[in-house]
Amino acid sequence: MNLLTQAVISGLMIGAVYAFLGIGLVLVYRTARILNLAHGESFAITGVAAAMLAKSGLPLGAALALAILIAVAFALSLHRFVLRPRAEWPAGTLILITLGAAFVVRGMLILVGGTDPVSFPALFSGAPLRIAGGVIPPQGIALVLLGFGGSTAVAVYLEMTRSGKQLLAAAENPYAAELLGVNVERARLTAYGIGALLGALAGALLIPLIAVDFQSGLAMTLRGFIAAAISGMSPIGVVFSGLGLGLFESWVGAYLGALYQDPVMFGLLIAVALWQSRHIRFGGTRRA
Amino acid sequence: MSRSLLCTLLVCAAGAVQAQPGPILIGEVAPLTGPAATVGTRLNKASKMWADDINAKGGINGRKIELVTCNDEARPEKAVACVRDMQEKGAVMVFGNSLTASLRAMQPLVKQGPLLLIPSPNVVPPADSYAFQVSPSDLHLTEAIAKYMKESGLNKIGMVAATDASGEVGVESAKKVFGDQKMELRLARIDLRATDASTQLANVAGQDIKLVYSSYTGAGAVTVVKSFKILGLPQPLMVSYGNMSEAFVSLIKDVAPPRLLGTSVIALVPEHLSNAGERERAQAFLDAYAKRYSEKPDMINLLGKAEVDVAEAVLRKVPNPADAAAAKKFLESTPVESIQNQRFSPTNHVGLDASSVMIVELKDGNWIKAQPIR
Repeated sequence: MNLLTQAVISGLMIGAVYAFLGIGLVLVYRTARILNLAHGESFAITGVAAAMLAKSGLPLGAALALAILIAVAFALSLHRFVLRPRAEWPAGTLILITLGAAFVVRGMLILVGGTDPVSFPALFSGAPLRIAGGVIPPQGIALVLLGFGGSTAVAVYLEMTRSGKQLLAAAENPYAAELLGVNVERARLTAYGIGALLGALAGALLIPLIAVDFQSGLAMTLRGFIAAAISGMSPIGVVFSGLGLGLFESWVGAYLGALYQDPVMFGLLIAVALWQSRHIRFGGTRRA
Repeated sequence: MSRSLLCTLLVCAAGAVQAQPGPILIGEVAPLTGPAATVGTRLNKASKMWADDINAKGGINGRKIELVTCNDEARPEKAVACVRDMQEKGAVMVFGNSLTASLRAMQPLVKQGPLLLIPSPNVVPPADSYAFQVSPSDLHLTEAIAKYMKESGLNKIGMVAATDASGEVGVESAKKVFGDQKMELRLARIDLRATDASTQLANVAGQDIKLVYSSYTGAGAVTVVKSFKILGLPQPLMVSYGNMSEAFVSLIKDVAPPRLLGTSVIALVPEHLSNAGERERAQAFLDAYAKRYSEKPDMINLLGKAEVDVAEAVLRKVPNPADAAAAKKFLESTPVESIQNQRFSPTNHVGLDASSVMIVELKDGNWIKAQPIR
């Protein structure tokens, strides 16, 4: 087995997860100006619900479809019934509300699914692909292709299409956007829905390779946040930061050891944040 | 006349109420939610079952058990608050049913008592303390692995360990035991949030390595097993102690490697206990647990049973169980009958040792004694 090849394969799979989760966070942030800390719950809800439904005898495809539907419904409800009525509240308070929602989901998942980790079979089965001394399962290939493909498609949609730009405009200046005919509310609802769908897809593709439990959501939000923050909340940037982070994490783990992963990753995050804020003066004004 | 009779009756009734002995307060610190909830809830089930059984039989010396469970979420600061609260309430002893970091934080608080019983293998209490460990220590588990390797003629092992406090304990034990026995240890650490363990396994599972050990527990252990399967590694994979559960087996049964081994107390496979009393008690507990909860008991439940057996021995045999010094002296001098008898001494507060550990193998969904690797 070739360690370098395996580290690249592992990095691509990890990177796809970063990209999947990061693009959802960026999408909601750039549309509604809220950092949704309950974003990763769509991953956990999909995993726990799909595992339970499949265990109850539902065919895997139907179980996954229903689970994804529940995850998307949760995100839409969070926006429609919790955040939207409080739209005038300070952003910090709304972010805390999303964190509260994440903990509510945790509690619900414990009540419904218990505390043990669960999983479900892979959608793409078959013999793993052996390439240059590395191994990747069919589900891993699907994760890489759909992770980077899906996040790139969303990024291109946001940056290069008229309706995507309308979504972004809804956050930049909602009043002006409305005057120009943009349905801001629909734009935000769409953003929450697509974001949750991406998180749920990440769950559908990754969980068969691992296991999920009630607490997986916040860990996934953190992954998405790191990728999103390093990209400067840029839709195109988050695809590349996800890829870079995945490869970086895998190589650090393979050659330096996992004990170095957190210091290196968070050190990188701080360095990027400092670089991005180099023009900001104390007090918030910009340097010339 | 009637008024004086009424007064007499009231005085008698008050006297009767005073004579009624109060319940024995037992504190339990367990993560019922949070990352270690799977451990806390399992130990809590054994504690609850014990308390209910005792109370259904009228209590101990006429006193009922009042089990007060405090959820520390495996967070040391919460565990400390839980213990302080229990001390204020007058708990006779505390079940430390949490994880390594919490247990380490709780220990300094019981320097003057009450007794602290610990089912975790990762915290070895000093012999001058009021803490007693009812499990073999992690060092004992590693010694059992080394013994199994010797029986199999192996002198190299690959190991994947988590980057948390429990993983650190496992690495220390492995370095000591395998180092002392001149065995080669190839080690890779894995982050708790890892979604893939293939690079770690690629690092440690070379062709010259005939056994890979994962000291990871919970969802992370499943990731290791799945990555192991994907890589198509031919070696037997050994998983740790905390994974000997139905939940774990149901998750990995379709992706288990050719041979899946594990470390366990012998009581998990009671027919291998040579002591008839231990065998009988272990089987009785396994049956009673399955009947009460309609689920198969596992390693963690068994350690919970060992813990309540030690507690019950103290409550029944020490005249004043609230006297921590007397309870400590009792445990240091008297073996306690359990699913595997606990033997503490004034110089050792760990009740079991390496001889109480067995290497098991998963066959058709059940754990059986593992044969050496050939």
